[in-house]
Parts: sequence; structure tokens; C-alpha cells
Amino acid sequence: MEEAGKISRYLYTVIVLFLIWLFLTASTDPQELAMGLVFSLLIGAFTYPIFTTRGLANLHPRRVAYAIAYVPYFLWAMIMANLDVAYRVLHPARPIRPGIVHCKTVLKTNPGKLALANSITLTPGTITLDVDGENYFIHWIWVPDEVLHAESDEEHVERASSSITAPFEKFLRVIFG
Amino acid sequence: MIKRALAIITLLIIGYWLAQGLAGVPFGQDKMLVGRYYLEHVKEQTGAVNAVTAVVVNYRGFDTLGEVTVLFIASTGVGALLWRKKKKRTARTEGSVVLTTGTSLLFPFVVLFGAYIFIHGHLTPGGGFPGGATIATAFLLLYMAFVTYEIPHKVFEKTEGLAGMGYVAVGLIGLAIGGYFLFDWIWQTWGWGQSNIGRLFSGGFIPIIYTLIGIKVGTELSGIIDNMLKEGVSE
Repeated sequence: MEEAGKISRYLYTVIVLFLIWLFLTASTDPQELAMGLVFSLLIGAFTYPIFTTRGLANLHPRRVAYAIAYVPYFLWAMIMANLDVAYRVLHPARPIRPGIVHCKTVLKTNPGKLALANSITLTPGTITLDVDGENYFIHWIWVPDEVLHAESDEEHVERASSSITAPFEKFLRVIFG
Repeated sequence: MIKRALAIITLLIIGYWLAQGLAGVPFGQDKMLVGRYYLEHVKEQTGAVNAVTAVVVNYRGFDTLGEVTVLFIASTGVGALLWRKKKKRTARTEGSVVLTTGTSLLFPFVVLFGAYIFIHGHLTPGGGFPGGATIATAFLLLYMAFVTYEIPHKVFEKTEGLAGMGYVAVGLIGLAIGGYFLFDWIWQTWGWGQSNIGRLFSGGFIPIIYTLIGIKVGTELSGIIDNMLKEGVSE
């Protein structure tokens, strides 16, 4: 992951901040726009080294398109998973089989890892406990048989990853790299 | 046991006494004397839509100056109490990648939102103090997530002093132009922004003072956090 130039990172921060300002004010009054631009330029100037490492490359059309497509995909996963947890809570026998599993990710960048960890946590049934390099430690409400009876560590990791991280990774790999 | 019982009895007596006093206050009835004057004249006298900030900065600006002074003394006091020649962060546990990356991504948004609060002080609820506290929260986030982070002290202390002096300077210009301290010269003498009450560039000197207060409070609280999180190092 090479760092983008300073100007590219600064411009990216200013653009994002200005978009946030537009959402906050919900107005296209020229006075608001002017003040928003001033604040974006000022705040961007001292926050861009913390904020981004890849700069304008984040705004590649392919990435933006995948990010927009990811929203409904993720919301659908969230709704289904919430219904699943509701079923487990309301079921008289309370079918839970909790356990901590170990997954691996193919994502390289930190924002990508953050997005994956949050996606896993927000789809109930799974909670990210810790992220260490490419390793994810995830608490699962119902550890399925094929993971529970895995014969070796590799098989365990592979099966857990394919059902927890892989569905999100196909989007996040394009968005964050 | 006796101590606790005595304390409960005393509190009950005080509570009854206060309730007796409050029972005479008529709730839900109009009892405004000065308040009515503020509400009726706030727009043409100060240009602010938010009556609270108009009272706090304009009608009773002296109290706000006092509050800013109190905060400054608090910050200086903490600095003096915790003064050591050599101080550094002694935190050892770096946050996980989720915490650090989340903080880096949130930091500009929190600062921008703080700025949004203090610049819209004359239009929406909020003002310089909430805005400044929000900005300080952003720096607190950095302190919590990164074990080595430190605010740039030289810049912060100078900015804090300059913002406080700016507030007094605005007041002194009012003294020179209008005859009394904290006279709203931008509104009453220049008439700037009178054509667009309710939009951003109005409200006389309230947005300017609130920008200064927001910067001052933000840097001040960050400084207090910095002082409290560092420990003396023995050599």
C-alpha cells in the first residue's frame, strides 16, 4: 500500500468534509456553501495526515459504484441476521451453540479491516473480538457442524472464513483494496 | 448507622423546605418580565434568531467573558497542579486496528461538526461552548487510541491565548465605537447582515465571538486532557 501524494490526500479530505457539511446544513444557500468551503479547507489542512493514506484514489468510479452497491447488500444481510437472532431468542429451546472461531482475511488496508470488522459485528450472531494482522477472532452464536468438527486448524479457518468474512470481502476488496 | 440516618433526615428536611418554597411558583402561567423584552426585541437588536445565544453573548456578554475566564483558570490550575519538569505518556496498550483506524476516520468529522455547532450559534441550539467541547472530544479520541499521540503544545497554547485576547479585543473595539464594553459594533454601527436575518452571515458579532470561544474552549479542554493523561518521569 503506497502512500498517495500530499496534494491528493489533502484534496480528498477536503472533498469528503465538504460533502459532510452539505449533509449537515441541508441547504444550498451560497453563504453556507462559502463557510463550508472555508472550514473544509482549514480542517482538511490539519487532519489530512491522519485521515487518509490513499488520497483521491479512493474516488475511483469502480470503488464508488461498489460502495453504493454494498449498502443494500449489507442492509439485507443485517435484516436476515436480526431475524435469525430473534428466532433464537423466541424459540423455547433457545438453540445457541456459542464459540470463538478464527478467520483470515484477504484485505490489506486498515480501513478495509475496520469495515469488515464492523460489518461482522453489525450482522448479529457474530461479533469481532479482536483483529490482529490478517487474523480475526469472532464470537459466533451458532457454530455450525462443519466448523465444529473440523479436523485441522487450516480446515477450521478456511470453513469459518468462507461463511463469515468471504461474503463481505468480495465487495470490500474492491472498495478498500 | 446513626450518621447515615441523620444525613437522610437532614436531606428530607431540606427537601421539604425547598418543595415548600417551590410550591408557590405558578407553573404554566406567563410570568415573564425581562424575558418578554428579550423575545420581542432580539431580532432587531441583535440580528440573532436564537434568543439564548443573543442573551448570553449580547445582552449579558460580561457573564460569558467570566465563564471563559473560569475555564482558563481551570486549565491553568490543572497545569500548575500537575506541573513536572519531565512528563510523558505512560500508556502502554496500543488500541487494536479497529480502534485506531476508526479514530483516524472519525477525527475530521468530529472537528467539522464542532465547527458547525459554533458557527451556527446564532441560528441553532449550541454555540461556542458545546462546539469547543466537541472539538476537544476529537483530541480525546486521539489520546485514547494512540499511545504516543500528543497535541502540538506550542501551537495550542498560543491559539488559546490569541482566541481569548480576540474576545476581549472585540469588546474593546465596541468600547471605542459605541461607548461601552462588548457593544455590538458589527450590527449596530455597521448594520452588517441586517438584510438577511436567519441566514448564516447575520447575527452581528455573535458568530465571531462564538468562533473565538469555540477555538478557545477546544484547545483548553484538550490541554486539560493532555495534562491529566501524562505522568511525571523520574530520572
